[in-house]
Amino acid sequence: MTATLPAVDTSSNDLGSRGSARRRVLALAAAEIRLLRRNRTAAVNSVLGPVVLLGSVAAIAASNGLELDGSSFIASAIGITLILVAYYNLVTTFVARREELVLQRMRTGELTDGEIVLGTAVPTLLVTLLQVLVVGVGVVALGKWSAPVDVVLPLLALLGGGVLMVVLAAASTSFTRTVEAAQFTTLPLVLAATLFSGLLVPLSDLPEAVGQVFRFLPLTPVIELSRLGLVGETWTGQAVDTAGAWTAAPLPLAVLGGWLVVGTVIARRVFRWAPRR
Amino acid sequence: MFTAEPAHPDLAVEVVDLHRRYGAFEAVRGVSFAVRPGEVFALLGVNGAGKTSVLEVVEGLAGADSGSVRILGADPVTERARVRPHLGVLLQSSGLPGDLTVGETLHTWARTLTRPRPVGEALAQVDLVSRTGVRVRSLSGGERRRLDLALALLGRPRVVVLDEPTTGLDPESRRTVWELIRDLVAGGAAVVLTTHDLEEAEQLADRIAVMRAGRIVLAGTQAEIAAGRSATIRFTLDDRGLPLPDLPGVAVAVGPPHVELHTDDLQSTLAVLLGWAGEHGLDLTGLQARPASLQQAFLAVADGTVPTAA
Repeated sequence: MTATLPAVDTSSNDLGSRGSARRRVLALAAAEIRLLRRNRTAAVNSVLGPVVLLGSVAAIAASNGLELDGSSFIASAIGITLILVAYYNLVTTFVARREELVLQRMRTGELTDGEIVLGTAVPTLLVTLLQVLVVGVGVVALGKWSAPVDVVLPLLALLGGGVLMVVLAAASTSFTRTVEAAQFTTLPLVLAATLFSGLLVPLSDLPEAVGQVFRFLPLTPVIELSRLGLVGETWTGQAVDTAGAWTAAPLPLAVLGGWLVVGTVIARRVFRWAPRR
Repeated sequence: MFTAEPAHPDLAVEVVDLHRRYGAFEAVRGVSFAVRPGEVFALLGVNGAGKTSVLEVVEGLAGADSGSVRILGADPVTERARVRPHLGVLLQSSGLPGDLTVGETLHTWARTLTRPRPVGEALAQVDLVSRTGVRVRSLSGGERRRLDLALALLGRPRVVVLDEPTTGLDPESRRTVWELIRDLVAGGAAVVLTTHDLEEAEQLADRIAVMRAGRIVLAGTQAEIAAGRSATIRFTLDDRGLPLPDLPGVAVAVGPPHVELHTDDLQSTLAVLLGWAGEHGLDLTGLQARPASLQQAFLAVADGTVPTAA
């Protein structure tokens, strides 16, 4: 208690300008990355888990008749890491921060609500991206790489899918009271997204009416766009070139966009910043 | 610059006829108060009186059901982005990630602020310099509370809202926090605080409001609140069986041997009493004389035994 506080300017109620959103999000993200690195169990799980998962998924997909070339494998990796790593980890992270009263405290500062959610999500999204890259490098190393038909569509799938996972995870925290409960509360979306998205069973193997319905599930457009660009194949299994891929892209892009809008609206309505009293 | 017209642009905090409901329960029933720069305003009341519900609206964490709140002339909810750089908030309870160190926690928070103070300075003010490299989970309760306070004050706020800032602190930490609050006010900040501790209110507050069941039932400066209350004299009388002297206008609240007297004229009553004791060679053991106190006023209204005009 030696220093005294500097006087504040009370000459007027001019509130002035404020700093940048980017700096605030990066500050929060840097702290979250540090926390992830210090939590060894979580760090190891987030890297090793998907490798094991991808192997299993590859085996199941192959036994279901999906051709497992390198491009298909990368497309599957995008879907798997998004739903099983990003979505699940984001739900547990948001719930943990809420229950330990960290979210409520961050809301007392200059961070906006969106910045708090985004900053908290950045490490998970980076890990997701890293894992897709690792799979890509592995595919190249195994000599299974073939040039994609289009790179923009898979990138849109990865980016849009990443944001969608943040939004869906935020909405899911409303019915997830504890970190442990996330194991169950995330199941419906995880199962629906993995079973009916063309990830394990090709949609072209299903009756067309069923396939058409499944195309409107949240993760399906991500898989569809990834396969269009990376494999050059529509959801019905038809081979396409770059122009053909873009001709087939508007519907999955619209579905992805629609889920982003709906998910954001729901998340904003139901997200709680403090534990239930 | 302003989108709305503040009624009193020089006020740091202005709350007018605030109401808050949780379902059918009305937690805040028409609360009004104002705080000027360089002033400490203390909100007192028993648990459940509605203090925190009022503060949540001032902090911009919850909206009002009716009435208005202005911070430096702006609405803390709808104009949150403009208010926040000038508002320092200490919640009654809030969390910090346990695996960051004290220094990392402050540096992270500083990077989210528009005009942060140097982290070293903030640490010095709450006596946590020696704990800079310690993980938050290893701090004692008092150290955590002081870190909370350092975070609340890191952005050089002009308006500071402190919800029970010293609850659970040891006496020394409590003094540290009091000094810090006095420094803040000397620097021109406006402080709104809640407390259970009447001594804290007496030590710090320029003006006090006592809440009961969602309303302010008593408000004013300490002198105003204590006015009309009696002063108290206490002492223990040696067992000589002597009756007390005739003391006009004095109420004997507790009789000998442990005596408590209530008087409106402390000085004359004391003079008579001391004269009487000297005359009879009596020892008034443990003699205490206290002027009319906030505590009396608080106890009288906080539990609802004395009806008051709000």
